Amino acid sequence: MIVRMAKIEIAGPKELLLDVLALVQELGLFQVEPEPGGFVEAGVEAKVRPLVPDEQLVAERLFLENLGSGIAGVLAALPRSAVGTSPLDPQAALAVVAAAVGGHGAWCREQEERLAALRRERDELQRHAVIVEALDRLLAGVSPGEGVDCIGLVLREPAALERLRWLVANGTEGASELLTAVAADGTTVCLIVTVRERGARLRELLGAEQLPELELPAAFAGLPFPERIRRLRGRLAEAAAEMAAIEGALADFARTWGGAYLRAREWVENRLSLLRLTARVHETLMCFVVHGWMPAAGVPGLEGELAARFGGRVVLEEKALREQDLQRIPVALKNPPYFRPFELFSRMLPLPRYTSYDPTPFIGVFFPLFFGMILGDAGHGTVLLLASLAALRLWPGRPVVRDGARILLVSSLSAIVFGFVYGEFFGELGETLFGLRPLIVERRTAIVSMLWFSLAVGTVHVILGLFLGFLSAVRRHTGKEALFRLTTIAAILCLALLAVSLFHLFPRNLARPAVVALVALVPLLLATGGFIAPLEFLRTVGNILSYARIMAIGLASVLLASMANTLAGMTGDIVTGIIVAGLLHTVNLVLGVFSPTIQSLRLHYVEFFSKFLEHGGREFAPFKKSRTDREEESWKRH
Amino acid sequence: MEKALIALAAALAIGLSALATAWAQSRIGSAGAGTIAEKPELTATVIIMLAIPETMVILGFVVAAMILYR
Repeated sequence: MIVRMAKIEIAGPKELLLDVLALVQELGLFQVEPEPGGFVEAGVEAKVRPLVPDEQLVAERLFLENLGSGIAGVLAALPRSAVGTSPLDPQAALAVVAAAVGGHGAWCREQEERLAALRRERDELQRHAVIVEALDRLLAGVSPGEGVDCIGLVLREPAALERLRWLVANGTEGASELLTAVAADGTTVCLIVTVRERGARLRELLGAEQLPELELPAAFAGLPFPERIRRLRGRLAEAAAEMAAIEGALADFARTWGGAYLRAREWVENRLSLLRLTARVHETLMCFVVHGWMPAAGVPGLEGELAARFGGRVVLEEKALREQDLQRIPVALKNPPYFRPFELFSRMLPLPRYTSYDPTPFIGVFFPLFFGMILGDAGHGTVLLLASLAALRLWPGRPVVRDGARILLVSSLSAIVFGFVYGEFFGELGETLFGLRPLIVERRTAIVSMLWFSLAVGTVHVILGLFLGFLSAVRRHTGKEALFRLTTIAAILCLALLAVSLFHLFPRNLARPAVVALVALVPLLLATGGFIAPLEFLRTVGNILSYARIMAIGLASVLLASMANTLAGMTGDIVTGIIVAGLLHTVNLVLGVFSPTIQSLRLHYVEFFSKFLEHGGREFAPFKKSRTDREEESWKRH
Repeated sequence: MEKALIALAAALAIGLSALATAWAQSRIGSAGAGTIAEKPELTATVIIMLAIPETMVILGFVVAAMILYR
């Protein structure tokens, strides 16, 4: 349902402005309107002008903006998981936070920069670590000595190994050994062990062949190879320890100060939003004036609070709504608990206008009905019912899953009811196992009857949409459009009468009066709807025919279920039969969830809502406090 | 012969409309895939859009049913 809104003006002495705005923010029910047009009576517009902020207000705003950016800098550096809660009253602790934020900010930045540098260094060293691991394995088999030189190499292509063997053998005249290993990342690592006096010559040869010695970070240049590896490992361990120390220090800081900074930020942001809101306030010579919208049900509450806190010095007046206000009244939706989950579907549409309708209750009534009519199988419905109950139990904290499960719960109940109407339990299995017979109609055989039934449902649904469009047009005082909607309803009824007469469902002699009435309505249709009216009428007829999908998709579903049972029976073996039937029924069930959902929604969005729903509403965004407690929880989850 | 012609007419009614639906859905599907890649929040809208051309095959089915069961 669209919440009824009241047009409100609050006025009082200027010195009480911030206190009044703080109360409005605390209640969180009032949306301030920046433009006074439509709120101020004709003749006094000149006396009401935008509020000019005084020096104190500007100074406070500048101070809080600086403080806010300082706090944001500190919080950005802190690990989220370590931030504790603070029992401190942020307003009382503001002076302490303001004094400390500069020093804390500088310390946090310093720690962040050091941490970033260490991470870069660690990443670079880790890139070498894989190769170092492989070289280490090779070095384990080499006996160290004064005259021994080791050269490490990485071969990009294993095919170059033979060339390398030849080079090493020639470059050292056989006084060397070539060891190879495959590193964890798949590269081939080589270690050449030779006598020290041949090492320099061999390096030259390798360089000329584009096979340079493995390069480690500059800090390790000039060291013997085993020493390089030892130092690399040592440095990696040192970097990890330094990072852990910095992270520990930041975590300690976050535990001590994080909660206080979060609270302070909440207070600063709320206060800043209040100060910024003064730009939307107007003033007269003596008073401030705030204009805006709020739910009509909340007006007595706000009035009572203003009287209690300011003793009659601040006045609230509910203004009369005018024709031109209807386009800009903000829209808030509020539905009873049964309909609330269906807002999941109505949120996919743009917000309706204030003068239009909330689509949620219509979806809440017709969606489960259409879903049940299409799926219409007690067995499938029972499985979906159990699945929805399981989802509700497993994920109660996820709003989207919870709403989806509730919708599925209602829809599966509808599918069970229609399952008994059609006499279906996993297709005709119910009839075979326990003699389940259709209560009203058997879909598999009564194809034409089901077609008529679907079209009848479509006619009723579309006529309801047109009638709501008629009411909406009456509310907007657009008489011509209202008459066009009524004429279309009459024409559709005539067409329906003609169709049922021609197909022998009604006496055939009713056809002639139906045609005469239809022809008589054509001039009225053209007069009210213009030259496009016939096209519009044809579109409406097409919309009704579209409801045949209820029967068509339902028939496909029942035939799939029937085929599953037939194939299971043809296997001739009970175990194989159960597996085959289970698989095919699972496929049918998955289709049976998606297809009715999409088709039912489509019938609403395209066929039904196009008849009456006006989009383009402005969302109701009341001025209220931001909540740090939620943010604290979100920080803890990370 | 008459039965065969009736069956052919019904087959054409549903077959041609099914081809038209398939063609329309292929175009909408590829555009929809691009849309979802850029704006995943429009997934539901794209699914609904994808279901819109099914009207053609439904109407084809209605015509076929009327031909067969008249």
